[in-house]
Amino acid sequence: MSAVESKTDRAPLISIRDLKVHFDLGGGGVLDKLLGGKPEKRVVKAVDGVSLDIYHRETLGLVGESGCGKSTLGRAILRLTEPTSGQVIYRDRDLAHLSERQLREERRHLQIIFQDPYASLNPRMTIGQIVGEPLETFRLARGREAEERVQELLETVGLSKRFIKRYPHEFSGGQRQRIGIARALAVDPDFIVADEPISALDVSIQAQIMNLLEKLRREKHLTYLFISHDLRAIRHVSDRVAVMYLGRLVEIADAKTIYHEPLMPYTKALISAVPVPDPQIEATRQRIVLEGDVPSPINPPSGCPFHTRCPYAIDVCKEVVPQLVQIKPSHFAACIRISPSQPNIEDVAPGDAPGLESGVGQVR
Amino acid sequence: MNEKDGNLLEVKDLRTYFETDDGMVKAVDGISFQLKRGETLGIVGESGSGKSVTNLSIIRLIPDPPGKIVSGEVIFNGQDLLLLTNEAIRKVRGRRIAMIFQDPMTSLNPFMKISKQLMEMTQLHLGHSRAQAQAHAIKMLETVGIPDARARADNYPHEFSGGMRQRVMIAMALSCEPELLIADEPTTALDVTIQAQILELIKTLKKETGTSVILITHDLGVVAGMTDHLIVMYAGKIFEQGKTSELFALPGNPYTKGLLRSVPDPTAEQGKLYQIPGLPPDVAHLKPGCPFAPRCEKVQEICHREFPPFVQLNADHYSLCHFAREVYAESGGGRAS
Repeated sequence: MSAVESKTDRAPLISIRDLKVHFDLGGGGVLDKLLGGKPEKRVVKAVDGVSLDIYHRETLGLVGESGCGKSTLGRAILRLTEPTSGQVIYRDRDLAHLSERQLREERRHLQIIFQDPYASLNPRMTIGQIVGEPLETFRLARGREAEERVQELLETVGLSKRFIKRYPHEFSGGQRQRIGIARALAVDPDFIVADEPISALDVSIQAQIMNLLEKLRREKHLTYLFISHDLRAIRHVSDRVAVMYLGRLVEIADAKTIYHEPLMPYTKALISAVPVPDPQIEATRQRIVLEGDVPSPINPPSGCPFHTRCPYAIDVCKEVVPQLVQIKPSHFAACIRISPSQPNIEDVAPGDAPGLESGVGQVR
Repeated sequence: MNEKDGNLLEVKDLRTYFETDDGMVKAVDGISFQLKRGETLGIVGESGSGKSVTNLSIIRLIPDPPGKIVSGEVIFNGQDLLLLTNEAIRKVRGRRIAMIFQDPMTSLNPFMKISKQLMEMTQLHLGHSRAQAQAHAIKMLETVGIPDARARADNYPHEFSGGMRQRVMIAMALSCEPELLIADEPTTALDVTIQAQILELIKTLKKETGTSVILITHDLGVVAGMTDHLIVMYAGKIFEQGKTSELFALPGNPYTKGLLRSVPDPTAEQGKLYQIPGLPPDVAHLKPGCPFAPRCEKVQEICHREFPPFVQLNADHYSLCHFAREVYAESGGGRAS
């Protein structure tokens, strides 16, 4: 049993085990060698060994900066992107290894909402056709029954049923996002990946969509993977939060703990960087400003991927890949400089890596 | 010169309209504000509120047709920019008023080396020789924190990350030591850790050079930490303006109040999030009365009928609302008077 499984009071709806998604960028072939192209094979490890349980009826927030692999992870769970290896267990079946036909059956229960409400709706289809299409695909309803179901769905997401014959371009961003949500709900799913569902929307509309998703979760007993780079939104909607950096999960805890008592230096910097809408707090606040950019996932740093920007990094961090382990109850982190007996990195003696002794790391 | 009152910029009753198939869009409709030397002014609003058009109007970059500045004055250093010839305004742009935009990739020429793009600025505006311009370009890249600036100067834009490109844009904007920097959503396309870097950089450079800044953003968190004064725009109008600290503590407009409440506060217990109902208005088809009335929780009959007054609540705190004083009092304002 790995550490992430230890929370056993609830059964997970989805269990992800050592999931990897690697993209081959070419290079390293015979022709490359002969013609002096890229002599080395280049691979982007977008998701590099993620293990995670998503529990029934929870919202798991997945946060990270652009290029960290959070959207790829979301898509790989639904196999919209093919995983390279690993497992995604749902109802005792491994989604990562199902045949196309079997997968299609399961997809009914697993839906996705996209970031860009402008690009994710077919402009030539009416709202009725867009929302009704999944009903037809899965032969859930037809004719009059399907139409009634579509009307009901539109009302569920706060749209007038009169919209059924209109086209996407007639709607605002927030309304289109509601249409996308209605389409996802059409098949009565268990699980929805919400991939940056509010990022493209105005502030006043973001609140509406967050509240709608929360209402639907309660009424329809849904489970969400809520992917966002917006920590304020993540903190608001999530029960638990997973923080991702360069293809790996680096910290998992409940939302309040992540915000108020983060363990990882990266999470601390991320939270510190979020501007608070209060001039008094902002005036006195000491911000941790990280130096440098997120390294390229094509050529990630050795050892701990964060060591190039980490204010607490020591030499060992360049060599040892930290594993995600439980540091406090239900609070996991991947850092060799902390351990269950010494969870606060500020209190650890300079140069010490207590995590090494308790088996937090492994030499790559 | 307008040195007496310390105003670098004074915008008076600016109106910028766009002729569209859908009718006349009054993107900016009668706004007035001042910016003092060395101050930072924030302009917040949702998409379509007119915040970007306001600033494009100031430097006269409104595409005409379909757009037109139909009336108003933009007094910069005592001179009305709207009356200048095209030739004269070109000398102001980039030299005395500089802009940085949301997307640094589309604002840089992909076929030109970074150094060349920076050198163009000072060769054109300051009459630098090639050598002077090159030395200045490298100095500016160092100022904005580009590591190994001398070598990086010969790179092309695509060889920089998003955050680094925004630094290059800032270097370019500040290379002629402008009196006013207009930053239109400068960090919206960036990650939070990079956003923090860029905001710190703008703050530091502002302190060092004394440049005045107009910061346009939709993010209330960003303006909270960066600005002295704040303007809240909605449907082409200023709905509220005042000192940033006062506006956050004692909002006097239901729209501002709603906006502040609809941003989740990560430091507090998470209850149900307040939401402003409805959608932003279609500016081409505004009804009489207050444009926010259909979404306002304080709405009364008069709001649908009459356009609201711009009420002065405090020394420099104004709100566009029939019930501005009530809203202000509810927030806890005006108790002393």
